[in-house]
Amino acid sequence: MSTPAATLCVPKVPNSGWRITSIITAIAVFIVLHVFALRGTEFEPAALVTGAEGMASFLADAFPPDLDWESVLAPALKATTVTLWIGLLGTTLSIPSALLLAVFASRTTTPHKTIYQLSRAILSFFRAVPDIVFALIFVTAVGLGPFAGVLALICHNTGVMGKLWAESIEETDSGPQQALSTVGASRLQQVTHAALPMVLGQFVGLLLYRFDVNVRSSLVLGLVGAGGIGLLINQSIKSFQFDAMLTQILVVLVLVILVDQLSSFIRRKLEV
Amino acid sequence: MTTLRLPHPPLLQGAPPREEILQVENLTKSFGGRTVLDGVNFTLTRGSVVAFLGANGSGKSTTLKCIMGLETLDAGSIKLNGTELSTLRGTALVRVRSSVAMIFQKIHLVPRRTALENVCAGALGRLSGPASFSPMFFPRELKEEAMAALARVGLADRAHEKAGRLSGGQAQRVAVARALCQRASVLLADEPVSALDPRAAEEVMELLAELAREENLAVAAVLHQPNLAVRHADSVVGLIDGRIEYSGDISGLDASMQARLYTPNRAAA
Ligand SMILES: Nc1ncnc2c1ncn2[C@@H]1O[C@H](COP(=O)(O)OP(=O)(O)OP(=O)(O)O)[C@@H](O)[C@H]1O
Ligand SMILES: [Mg+2]
Repeated sequence: MSTPAATLCVPKVPNSGWRITSIITAIAVFIVLHVFALRGTEFEPAALVTGAEGMASFLADAFPPDLDWESVLAPALKATTVTLWIGLLGTTLSIPSALLLAVFASRTTTPHKTIYQLSRAILSFFRAVPDIVFALIFVTAVGLGPFAGVLALICHNTGVMGKLWAESIEETDSGPQQALSTVGASRLQQVTHAALPMVLGQFVGLLLYRFDVNVRSSLVLGLVGAGGIGLLINQSIKSFQFDAMLTQILVVLVLVILVDQLSSFIRRKLEV
Repeated sequence: MTTLRLPHPPLLQGAPPREEILQVENLTKSFGGRTVLDGVNFTLTRGSVVAFLGANGSGKSTTLKCIMGLETLDAGSIKLNGTELSTLRGTALVRVRSSVAMIFQKIHLVPRRTALENVCAGALGRLSGPASFSPMFFPRELKEEAMAALARVGLADRAHEKAGRLSGGQAQRVAVARALCQRASVLLADEPVSALDPRAAEEVMELLAELAREENLAVAAVLHQPNLAVRHADSVVGLIDGRIEYSGDISGLDASMQARLYTPNRAAA
């Protein structure tokens, strides 16, 4: 056993009493919030047990999945493709609006304070309204079908991606942009030659991430009539064809896994 | 102290006279009531290198920023090519000021773009229109001018290398090439070699001094190593707490002057 060469008494941490009090208060507040939340959501695990029977019969109906090509599998694949297209267009067609708003809503690239505030407000609005609400609105406007789904995704994704992009612009080193301002470059030239090239990698990464999310959202949009496989799943449930529903869900599962793999593969490639 | 001074090449016959290009008079600046620059005067002359020395916080960067318009001055005058900058506004000011280029300690190239593209960006002040928004549309003459600038700093063979893959010393030389492509006649360098290893630092200072003499540029460089100043600069501006302590020939930067510039608690001394 060796003894340390020297020891020094650790000085008392200032305000340690106050810190302990604030930690205890934070924990107490946390617990109280959860009590309210459990009551407010009628959280009742017992209901799950009594409902187990219904669940079992539901599953029994669903198995085995109905793999009939003509009536189930082919339409499911076709509708899933539509879902994929909705997710794709919803992502890519929101690039121009998201890009513009992101540049306006970043302190380092905005042309004016008022435009900055305004763009932030617009982004917050599009982000706050869920895509499913947009879908319901567009279904009444352009009718049932995938087009409503695409419009809904464009709106919501503009808000989310614009905000994510704006944040990544603000977080990157603005040095190169400042260097170009001393060269005499215009604000727009600074953006296209410094700010945007600096964040291009992150932008593409976030875009792929949003594509992944949007393909999954477009499924839910189908449930409210905005086209794609969601619509078929909804119909199967309403007509008690749970075995067809299971097939449709399996097809969706494959799509979601493929999209997820693809987008993370490309993102990994980009990082290198 | 041993000082090693390389003899300057004799001025070529018919070489332009050493004209004064930037005159700073009575530069005063305070931040929140604290005076940071207090009546700073100096002149930059074509063909010579001025080293700015002084302890941390003595106001060296603020001085350069005021000239570049990155800070506003409270009082004083800055004359560039005989034109008082405070009389100019907007695009006229940008145009006149474009003859001054800034070199940064953090270099500030765009890593994703190639060395050549970064150098071309130096010309953005004189380009306009949609074609100036992407390097793809840069005119051929600009690219050739940029190549010549890269060759001038000894990096023509790295033209298509991404700036992010260059070493610190190479990147700083690309930044110097960008300043050349800007067609600047004054180079203001704020600690251009503080992030570089001794050899790269020596090379970059060598390059700046060479450009001053051969391209007839006026160079001002903030340095933290008096040795580098002694080897490469012609004169020194020494700042203490925003006031000029010494301004004159490099030979005045002897050991006692260095000690004075970097003594703590100068106010009390
Ligand atoms: N934007 C600012 N707001 C408030 N104070 C500032 C600002 N910029 C500089 N200062 C202050 O002005 C003084 C001079 O700063 P400056 O950066 O010019 O010093 P410096 O000589 O370049 O120092 P260093 O060797 O550390 O780079 C410092 O005390 C600094 O704190
Ligand atoms: Mg400084």
